[in-house]
Amino acid sequence: MSDMKQLLDAGSHILMLEAALLDEQRWDEWLNLFTSDCEYWVPTWTAENQLANDPQSQLSHIYYSRRTGLEDRIARIRSKKSPASSPMRRTTHLTSNILLLSSSVDAAMTLRSSWTCHVFDPNSKKTYTLFGAAKHELVFLDSVWRIGKKKIIIQNDYLPSMVDVYCI
Amino acid sequence: MDTSKLKSYVDDRPSEGVFRVHKDVYADPEVFEYEMAFIFERTWAFLGHESQIAKPHDWLATHIARVPVLLTRDASNQIGAFYNACRHKGARLTRTETGNKKYHVCPYHGWCYGSNGRNVDIKDQKDGCYTPAFDRDGHDLLPIARLASYKGLIFGSLSADVPPLESFLGELRFFLDLAMEQGEHGMELVPGRIEYAYDANWKMQLDNGTDAYHLTSTHTSFLDVMAKRSTGEGNQEAKQFDWQKRYSQEGGDFQFAHGHSVIWLNQAEVAKRPIFPGIAEVRKRVGAERAEWMLKLRNISIFPNLQIADSTSLLLRTFRPLSVNRTEMRYWCMAPVGEAPAQRAWRLRQFEDFFNVSGFATPDDTVTYETCQAGFAAKGLGYLQGHSRGLAALQAGPNEIASSLGFKPVASVKGNFLVQSETSFHPVYREWSRLMQAGLAGEGAYE
Repeated sequence: MSDMKQLLDAGSHILMLEAALLDEQRWDEWLNLFTSDCEYWVPTWTAENQLANDPQSQLSHIYYSRRTGLEDRIARIRSKKSPASSPMRRTTHLTSNILLLSSSVDAAMTLRSSWTCHVFDPNSKKTYTLFGAAKHELVFLDSVWRIGKKKIIIQNDYLPSMVDVYCI
Repeated sequence: MDTSKLKSYVDDRPSEGVFRVHKDVYADPEVFEYEMAFIFERTWAFLGHESQIAKPHDWLATHIARVPVLLTRDASNQIGAFYNACRHKGARLTRTETGNKKYHVCPYHGWCYGSNGRNVDIKDQKDGCYTPAFDRDGHDLLPIARLASYKGLIFGSLSADVPPLESFLGELRFFLDLAMEQGEHGMELVPGRIEYAYDANWKMQLDNGTDAYHLTSTHTSFLDVMAKRSTGEGNQEAKQFDWQKRYSQEGGDFQFAHGHSVIWLNQAEVAKRPIFPGIAEVRKRVGAERAEWMLKLRNISIFPNLQIADSTSLLLRTFRPLSVNRTEMRYWCMAPVGEAPAQRAWRLRQFEDFFNVSGFATPDDTVTYETCQAGFAAKGLGYLQGHSRGLAALQAGPNEIASSLGFKPVASVKGNFLVQSETSFHPVYREWSRLMQAGLAGEGAYE
């Protein structure tokens, strides 16, 4: 039981840290949370109550099978050349309801969490909120927990005019 | 609004080399109301793709601008399109976007309609003390005035006074065929559609879909990432094009009747196309020349609410004006039926990378439309200067490419990439002006 509690604490810390790093735009540290072969997947809904279940045959909002996909996005944000991210939007992520779904002692765990992200665009002065659930698969590598897999479900998928990795 | 003011909004003087559009075309709420009445309620509009209602009793809830439309396939495979509103109290009959149902039962008082639109039950009718006058009224769903398909694309019209769909699409059909005949067994919409809304006029998207000029300014961050990827760094999954190779290509646009247009660009990297591994079959089926054109970049605008872009992988996009400064967008990845799994995944990665509102290109477009809409509040701005590029290169009728391929555009432009012509917008605003003037004058939309 205490092992489980320790795992959950360690995993929760990674999830909270991830949210804070995005909000504080500490991009390198955020990227560093992921393994180089991480899968990052934001499926679409194929119907009102049906999520896509296969990124190879169905459309995704975002799908990367390696961290390079996330690195490209950060390069783009940093360029300040993207009208959608310049001026940079301010975000506040809230992560809650963290459940430990499964674990193999000291090597891997799967967490399910709920999230909301409030996004403010200083250009248009508009605020919007995206919310949903996430599933993280963490692996213990070189004495630290890293994200080997992340699946993000957007519940309110009637989207605003831009969505980026820092808005979800 | 008086006719002369409306007429002045599109300043079209070919002999003087002038084509100007007034910013109020995008910003005046009164103009928007006329657009609903004189354009969206009086022309063909895209409704859906046949693969969305593939089986008997499949249905799709869609719209023509603000008007809810129910598209159904009945037991005998006939497609029908009805106002999506119960005859009793007007409730919209569907609560989801798609489904399969033999009967649509109204959630309010339980009136029931078959998938062919026929009323099959009025709840407790016998005991309802209705008069014979009520019984004499029809109770079936009201069909919209016209419905027709072209190569799997379903269009409808709220007015019967429209030309046959094939003549409405006209010579543009050459380019529609290039999109819709890529698959040996037809085309389908890949599962998973994306929906978003932006705070700007619907014609911002209509223009941008055939706007080559913004690429190297709006999308510089995308182009930087693509340049990095072309050296082997970064994400290689999308097998993205080396976009810098595009700047040295020849391209142009074609203007068509009824508001349609196309821009095109030669393809430097044919092997990056998901259809390329199967191109031998395509060549055999459609001929070498058409197969080569399927590999080129082609963006099609079908007035007023459909775009098919084939600049990375194949996109089908429809838009729905909600108000003068609010537009709802819906788009799909289109693919050959039975495509090999490796090509399907490659197609999806290319598509998501560029077209997604969570991708690398579309957010920069969409946010920029909103910036334009904000700028339109500049009262003295008057006429925009955004419809002039390429005018000196415009050739009336078909150029040698069109003649050789066998279609007849109204006008053609050919040049190197840097022309980045804006003449592709002219058919839109000519047709816009014609329909608006006809409407305001109380005349029919078509002769």
